[in-house]
Amino acid sequence: MHTKIKCLALTATLFLSASLYAVDLTKAYDMPDASKMIKKDLFPEAKKYTMPKSCNLNDAAAIARGKYMFHNLNGKKAKKPAPEGLVKFTMKKGKDGKMKKKFKQFGNCVACHNIEGAKGAGNIGPDLTGYKANFIDTKARDAQFVYQKIADPRIDNPNTHMTVNLTTGLFTPEEICDFTAYIVSKK
Amino acid sequence: MKKTLLSLAFLSTMAMLQLNAGEQFAMSDSDRAMYKEMLENNPADIYVEEGGEMFEENLGGEEALAKFLGVSEKELPKYIAGFPRYIKKLGNVVGIDQVLQAMQVEQGKKKTKLKSGKMFSMLAYVKSLANDEVPNIDTTEPHEKEAYELGKKTFMTARGGRGLSCNSCHSADIVGQVLRTQPLPDLGEVASGATWPAYRMTKSSLRTPQRRFQGCMKNALLKVIPIGSKEMVALEVYVTKLAQEKGKKIAIPGLKR
Ligand code: HEC
Ligand code: HEC
Repeated sequence: MHTKIKCLALTATLFLSASLYAVDLTKAYDMPDASKMIKKDLFPEAKKYTMPKSCNLNDAAAIARGKYMFHNLNGKKAKKPAPEGLVKFTMKKGKDGKMKKKFKQFGNCVACHNIEGAKGAGNIGPDLTGYKANFIDTKARDAQFVYQKIADPRIDNPNTHMTVNLTTGLFTPEEICDFTAYIVSKK
Repeated sequence: MKKTLLSLAFLSTMAMLQLNAGEQFAMSDSDRAMYKEMLENNPADIYVEEGGEMFEENLGGEEALAKFLGVSEKELPKYIAGFPRYIKKLGNVVGIDQVLQAMQVEQGKKKTKLKSGKMFSMLAYVKSLANDEVPNIDTTEPHEKEAYELGKKTFMTARGGRGLSCNSCHSADIVGQVLRTQPLPDLGEVASGATWPAYRMTKSSLRTPQRRFQGCMKNALLKVIPIGSKEMVALEVYVTKLAQEKGKKIAIPGLKR
């Protein structure tokens, strides 16, 4: 009985509001909010970093990880098994309570840079082939420069087209070490 | 009438695509052969046609649309070429899809979701009515000016896991450079603002401009913002204006890699 009355009242209200606002079309279409999403997606201003002392540039495992991350987009697209100390995905509980694969993002640096062994490299960034001989051995650049460039390239070029890799939180300082180790290594 | 419009659209799409055909080196030879064939027979024509039928049956077609917008049927193509535009009774700068939703609500019908295939088809049909017109976004109209500015800002804002903006890959100084085998297009020169909705070969489906923007956001790890949001509509205004500045004509449906 009670529910019936409620129901009637509801129908009446619906009817009323429909006829009252029939002419108001300002809410008649979807315009979802995006400004909050964009705000949450922003990241901090350009930041200076010092390459950590723990960064072992001669560690073969670090070089292997750097190489893997350099040439691959993410754990889903990467074909070969990940090297020691790197995972392609982690398991995470989804909204439905089921465990789901969360794929790790890699650098995909090859999208913009050519380097030894690159497949389908882009040319938005400079060619990094022969980097050790051309830039490190000649002292034109050092590992700290490379580390900073990868971590946050906005420091030496505010208008860079390069990705920001540490300040956005996508990678850890150890992973920036891995990238650096790979680039300055002899290939 | 509709047929001629469609085939006209087709001719200009073809001309444009042939100009670009040499640049499509992210395609394999078999893809390229398929692309050539599709130039003659755009798979999206059928979606546009279906969209036209739904638009006619569900909403009353061009006559109803012209009436809703307060223009004559003859003025309709030029008027449509000005979208996204400020519609006073909707209180915002809106896309054609949002106008269709408002028409549905006014007629007591269920709103078709902005991201549904049905809406994509209807939108493509309605925009194709403006085929051969150059887009005419009017930035002297204050709301449209504001939307343009918001679009520009959204285009320039770096965000997401890799700290990229649309401009990181589409600024004038890197157009033509290569991102992982794909040449970066000049969005004005390839007339993005006048050739979407288009058939996207790599997705085997009809995609709208806003849906295309979402693709770039997803790939570049920018949080994907929803179709129809102020910022999305504004991005469409901005990208449409780029085609307008180059004097590109609307040619729907486009055909894209
Ligand atoms: C979207 C394009 C793009 C991507 C992706 C990209 N870079 Fe770059 N990179 C550039 C550009 C452009 C430069 C030129 C200098 C600048 O603007 O900072 C550059 C410069 C560099 C340099 C400095 C070279 C020198 O000695 O001057 C290094 C090292 C480098 N990138 C490493 C990387 C690594 C590692 C990754 C992946 C984690 C990466 N880049 C991803 C575009 C890119
Ligand atoms: C990391 C690089 C990158 C970023 C960031 C990026 N794009 Fe793109 N965009 C591309 C590439 C590469 C293509 C060409 C893809 C192809 O050939 O299929 C493209 C294509 C497009 C097209 C289709 C062009 C045509 O054929 O009509 C549009 C429209 C577009 N982008 C808009 C945007 C917008 C809007 C944003 C920002 C939300 C954005 N892009 C961000 C790389 C990028």
